[in-house]
Amino acid sequence: MTPIALLLILISIAGLVAGELFLKHAMQSTIAGGFRQRTFLLFFIAGLVSMTIYFFLSLGLLQKFDLSYLYPFQGLSVIFISIAAAVLLREKLTPQLVIGSLLITAGVALVSLS
Amino acid sequence: MHGPDEQKFRVYENPWLHLALSAICTTVSELFLKRGATDTAHISEQWGWTGLTGLASPYVWVGIVFVLGSFLTWLYVLKHMPLSVAFPASQVVHVTIPVSSWLVLGEQIVTVRWLGILLVLAGLALVARPVATLEEKL
Repeated sequence: MTPIALLLILISIAGLVAGELFLKHAMQSTIAGGFRQRTFLLFFIAGLVSMTIYFFLSLGLLQKFDLSYLYPFQGLSVIFISIAAAVLLREKLTPQLVIGSLLITAGVALVSLS
Repeated sequence: MHGPDEQKFRVYENPWLHLALSAICTTVSELFLKRGATDTAHISEQWGWTGLTGLASPYVWVGIVFVLGSFLTWLYVLKHMPLSVAFPASQVVHVTIPVSSWLVLGEQIVTVRWLGILLVLAGLALVARPVATLEEKL
């Protein structure tokens, strides 16, 4: 694992986290306002751009590493997304949800370490 | 007026079902993408890191179709579930992808990796419970 590969992995994770937040906000806005409104369009496009960056960076990394080795790195995004959902989207994190998410992250880290 | 149609509609609307469909599409897409990426790894060292050279493989395009399927079902999930529940639950792919990489691509899974997969499953069991109560409320 070179520093550049690690940097590319981190950038791809950032793209994924930002993308999920944008898309969640976009879809949530359709419940009250439908699809023909500014908030949905802006956040949906922002989500698509972030996800596209994430997609192509992942594809490039796949050319160099085994799938079952590379993919689990994205488990880190569980922590980032849970925190961001609580802070930015004001979702309620129950203790059960926090423990479950930490177990998933630990499991994913274990999978990627091997 | 509680006919079978209404029941079918409810099953179809279940965000949990869409989450499962999304995970299946993600797993299938990754297998195709890996195959396509491996085939195109030699094309250009200069541009390989961008992943764009992968587009030369038909496997990558099939993978992209499944990515789209996963994306559309995931949008539905996002509309109806909190992100802090839906995203950890979507990590079921960290079980399905290594296991299918082992079964389909012949990649190795060592003991530590199996333990990690078990931990993910334990976490999923905890995370999925709020989803179950959410369904009861709906």
